[in-house]
Amino acid sequence: MNATMTSEQPRNASHVRQTLIGIGITVAIFAAAIGGAAAGTLENMERERAILLETILSGDMNAAERESRIQVAKTRLVDLERMVLRDKKLIGRNTPAVRAAFDNYDLTFLVHASTEKSRSIADHWLGQVGVSTTALMNARMGRR
Amino acid sequence: MSRKTPPTLAAAIVLATALLTPPAAAKNAASWSPSASEQLIKLPGDYLKKAVDNDFSRSRLAAALIDLDQNISLKQRTLGDLQAAIERADGELRTELQHQFLEEKRNYIDMMKEHQDLRAKRARTKVRLYERLLSKLNRSQRAVTPQQAELLTKQNSARERFEASAAKIDTRLLSSSMTAESKYAREYAKNLTAIESLVSAVKSHPMNQAPEIAGVPVSRGEYLRQLVAENQAEVAVVDQERAILGYMAKLVSLDALALSEGIDASNETELAEAEDPQAGVTGAVEFFVSR
Repeated sequence: MNATMTSEQPRNASHVRQTLIGIGITVAIFAAAIGGAAAGTLENMERERAILLETILSGDMNAAERESRIQVAKTRLVDLERMVLRDKKLIGRNTPAVRAAFDNYDLTFLVHASTEKSRSIADHWLGQVGVSTTALMNARMGRR
Repeated sequence: MSRKTPPTLAAAIVLATALLTPPAAAKNAASWSPSASEQLIKLPGDYLKKAVDNDFSRSRLAAALIDLDQNISLKQRTLGDLQAAIERADGELRTELQHQFLEEKRNYIDMMKEHQDLRAKRARTKVRLYERLLSKLNRSQRAVTPQQAELLTKQNSARERFEASAAKIDTRLLSSSMTAESKYAREYAKNLTAIESLVSAVKSHPMNQAPEIAGVPVSRGEYLRQLVAENQAEVAVVDQERAILGYMAKLVSLDALALSEGIDASNETELAEAEDPQAGVTGAVEFFVSR
């Protein structure tokens, strides 16, 4: 009986050790996958940005309405921009959408870039696409 | 002479032939096919080696090796017992025991050959696996195209710009915004604190050290090359051990022929004391050099 017990003990210890290593490896594999955010952060941000630009350019609303809509969009967009900037799945993802997004920080991350420069979103965006207040003031009306 | 020689000679021929024929098909069933997955490369420190060893320990090849180890150890004990019995016996019984001793030696050689084949199989499989992982690692490191490199630079500068201005932007947005801090911002800040404390615990954990060779931290590529070299060395050692086994086989054949010719007179030979049974092939050399 004793002999059986002593021969079983090392086998059990080896089994426990193997199980522990197995658990360690499984968890390490799981840990290696940590870091990726849910897919579609860029798409969500681009949709919100498009809606915001539509609001800025829309002629169907008055100034107060536009301002309140911009404020709502801004609070939503600031989070979405951060999600994109922190999304590890986008690192090195060489697709046209990702390349275009990171080509121009000022145009893509509108809320962050405009706040950083202490300008309104509309002014900032128009400035980035080449339409400044000075340029508009200097423009002359004429026929083509 | 003519009465005694034919059956013993026949036995000697059978022994010699058996030593040259390949071992049983059991080893073919003992297999291990690890896959070089991407996840293996990402494992920290020497977890990679542990993962491979753990995978091996659950394979049929490992089970076959363990079984064979036990059988070899038993066979060595049998050889020791027979050797001791031959010393005490004389006459026909001694010849009979010597014949049995040769049979057992032949079985031992078969087992050792199979054992060596399995060990070589394990080492070669590991070499192939580590080489595949190494080429995957090299491929993934080389895989950055100029366009991708440009994108990575832009992403890094975007993140740096964001990190540098995030606090200022938060202050401005919170002071001007109609709404309070968003749920995402609150949760993110809370989780970030937890993540930072976990990351520091992970970094300082003794099992999370970078791969090391003789206490010197090395890159993943170097570590994999070291593992390839270690297993290549195992293959070379097994090859060398095959030569030992070849000499053992030769000695058994000669002993069998000597026994059949009646040259092997019991008073001319003194059997050496049996050594303690050892698992390695060199532990059994004594059984073969003495008759």
